[in-house]
Amino acid sequence: MSMLTLNQLVARSIVDPAIVQAFSAGRIADVLSDLEFSPEVRTQLSSLNAETWTEYAVLAYRTVKAAQPVQTRIELPSPAEGLIRRDEDQIGKEQVA
Amino acid sequence: MISVTREEREWFLRNIAQGLVDYMGVVEPPVPVEEMLRHPPTVYNYDFGVVDMYSNLWDATFARPPSRRGSIFVRINLPPDQRRYALARETLSALITSKHGREMGLAELFMDTLQESGEHFARHLLAPQPMVEVFRNREDEDRELADTFELPEQVAIERKQDSDSSFR
Repeated sequence: MSMLTLNQLVARSIVDPAIVQAFSAGRIADVLSDLEFSPEVRTQLSSLNAETWTEYAVLAYRTVKAAQPVQTRIELPSPAEGLIRRDEDQIGKEQVA
Repeated sequence: MISVTREEREWFLRNIAQGLVDYMGVVEPPVPVEEMLRHPPTVYNYDFGVVDMYSNLWDATFARPPSRRGSIFVRINLPPDQRRYALARETLSALITSKHGREMGLAELFMDTLQESGEHFARHLLAPQPMVEVFRNREDEDRELADTFELPEQVAIERKQDSDSSFR
C-alpha cells in the first residue's frame, strides 16, 4: 500500500503545486499525515533531507521500497521426494522381513 | 543532486505521466495528449501549446520564445500515431522548463538523459500501466496495443518491454 500511496503522491505533484510548496516550506509532514503510510514509514519520510522535490521523491522511493515486506516464494515439495521416501520405506520393510 | 539510478528515474517518469492521465480523467485509450496540450492544467498555462510547422529536420521540438508561452512545434505532415508520440515525448521538455517543473527540480533529474527520459515518459503517457495490463498475454499483442493506444508499432513493442513492477 505504501508504494501505491507514494506513487499517487508523486503523480499528483506534477499538477498540484501545493505539494511542492509544502515540501519547500518544510511542511511535507503535513501532507504525509493525510496519506496511508505506516507510522514507521511516515516518520522516516518526514525526516528525509533533500534539496528538491524530485530528490525527495527518489529518497522516499528508496525508503518505501526498503520497508516493503520481502515476497516469499511458495515452495511446493518435489513429487520425487515422495517417491524416494516410499522406496526407502520399502527397503526398510524388506530389511526387517 | 543525489545519484539516481535508471530504475528510479523511470519510476518517477511513470508516475508523473500517470499524474497527467489522472488529471485528464482518461479511463480508456487513446489518451488525448494533444487535447491536454491545447487545454493544459492551470499550472502549465504558459508552457503547453502546439504549433504546426513545415520541417524536414525533426518530427517535433519544444521551444519557449522569449516572454511567450512555450509550445511544441510539430511537423505538419506526420502520420497521426507518430504525431501523438512526438508530442508526448516533447511534453517532458515543456514540464522540465516550466516554472512548476523548475520548482520541482525536474531539470536536475532529467536534463542529462533528456532523449531517453522523454521517450520513456511518452510511452507511459500514451499507454498508462493500468490500461496496458488488459493487453498482457494476448495474441498479436503488439499490433493490438499499437492500434488501441494509437502508437507507432515500434513504440508499442518498446512499451511492452518496459518494466512496470514498481508501479503496483
